[in-house]
Amino acid sequence: MLISLVKKEFLIVKKYVGIMLIVSFLIPPIMLWRMPEAAGAMGFTLTVIFSIFMLTQYVSLKEYQYPKATTLLCALPYHRKIIVLSKYCFCLIIYAVCCLVFGIDTIIFPKLGTFDIRMAAIAFLVITIPISFYFPALYKLGYEKTKFVFVIIIMASPVLFAFLFKPENAVRFSFLDSISTTTIAILSIIIGLVTFSISAILSIRFFEKSDLT
Amino acid sequence: MDNILEVSGLNKRYGDFALKDISFYLPDGCITGFVGINGAGKTTTLRSILGLTNMVSGNIKFFGMDMDGNESKIKDRIGIVLDEGCFYDELTLSEMKNVIASAYKNWCEQDFIDYMEQFSLNPKQKINTLSKGMRMKYALALALSHKAELLIMDEPTSGLDPLVRSQLLNILKDYMGKGGKGVFFSTHITSDLDKIADMLIMIDGGEIVF
Repeated sequence: MLISLVKKEFLIVKKYVGIMLIVSFLIPPIMLWRMPEAAGAMGFTLTVIFSIFMLTQYVSLKEYQYPKATTLLCALPYHRKIIVLSKYCFCLIIYAVCCLVFGIDTIIFPKLGTFDIRMAAIAFLVITIPISFYFPALYKLGYEKTKFVFVIIIMASPVLFAFLFKPENAVRFSFLDSISTTTIAILSIIIGLVTFSISAILSIRFFEKSDLT
Repeated sequence: MDNILEVSGLNKRYGDFALKDISFYLPDGCITGFVGINGAGKTTTLRSILGLTNMVSGNIKFFGMDMDGNESKIKDRIGIVLDEGCFYDELTLSEMKNVIASAYKNWCEQDFIDYMEQFSLNPKQKINTLSKGMRMKYALALALSHKAELLIMDEPTSGLDPLVRSQLLNILKDYMGKGGKGVFFSTHITSDLDKIADMLIMIDGGEIVF
């Protein structure tokens, strides 16, 4: 059941999946050209944020346009919990595809550096935080109100990342170098999964209490 | 005769509108019309019994089983047709079918193919190209392809031309002839009920009249 619902998400956005694949492939080399000092990690993280939020937002838009389709799904033997969890799985699959695409990028453009488990895990942690706010907000407040949150995330992320990675700024991530790669990766994944789980529980609770049109 | 649906003491409030102590039952083997003017509470009642809206109080039993705790098991035995626009319009009929078929344990692909042929529907066609009548037939094909014992429909004849309405009523008769245990459909077009319904339930202002 879960797999079918995840497939449904991809079917809804099928027109945009190809475009997002190309965009996610191009973001890191473009950053390598414009901001070579931060192209690797930042390029990958931006790719993940853009891909997940653009596709998720498009699915939400379609569900907003066809609210009775969700009502029909809930009238079937699908439990509302599964319907919510399919959204989270959809994001995880996009994240996995982004990892794959960036891996290919690093082979074609060696200057992007090595794609290691630490980078993947930190990007996972970074993306779980906005998603963990986005879905419960979507189920509680609805699409119209939540889309502003999405616009802010999409617009602010390049600016914020550029600021964080500028050499003259005080924010440094060098302390991470003293911690082993494996520890950082494991901690990031654990924190990300815990955040994701709490968010999913809240989303399920909000969706189960909602009256469908 | 056993009851396939029993509703007792259903209360639900929506702003100024409220369902007040709704109680009724559907006996096995009957086509039951649920009538009332627009805004009488037909759709709210149907959605409440299907668990799509949260009721304040009440007890819903399908096939002798409480809805609480048996929701998936019950819904597996029910075919649902909601009013138009319950699909993702940009999907093809086949894609939407795959989403819906996965929900049911007893999905019968051959039944679906037969209904699609009977209704002259092309699985590769996009949903947004279907007329209102074709959408209703497609919804019926989906609702009837998993050996449903009870068919619940919300305003299925609304907005359809007389020919399609007549075809729909014949499909319901065929469904009952093939072993369906019951049909429960809401409508405000009483002429449809004259032709087909064995039993009527009328609602007005959120209360059952008879």
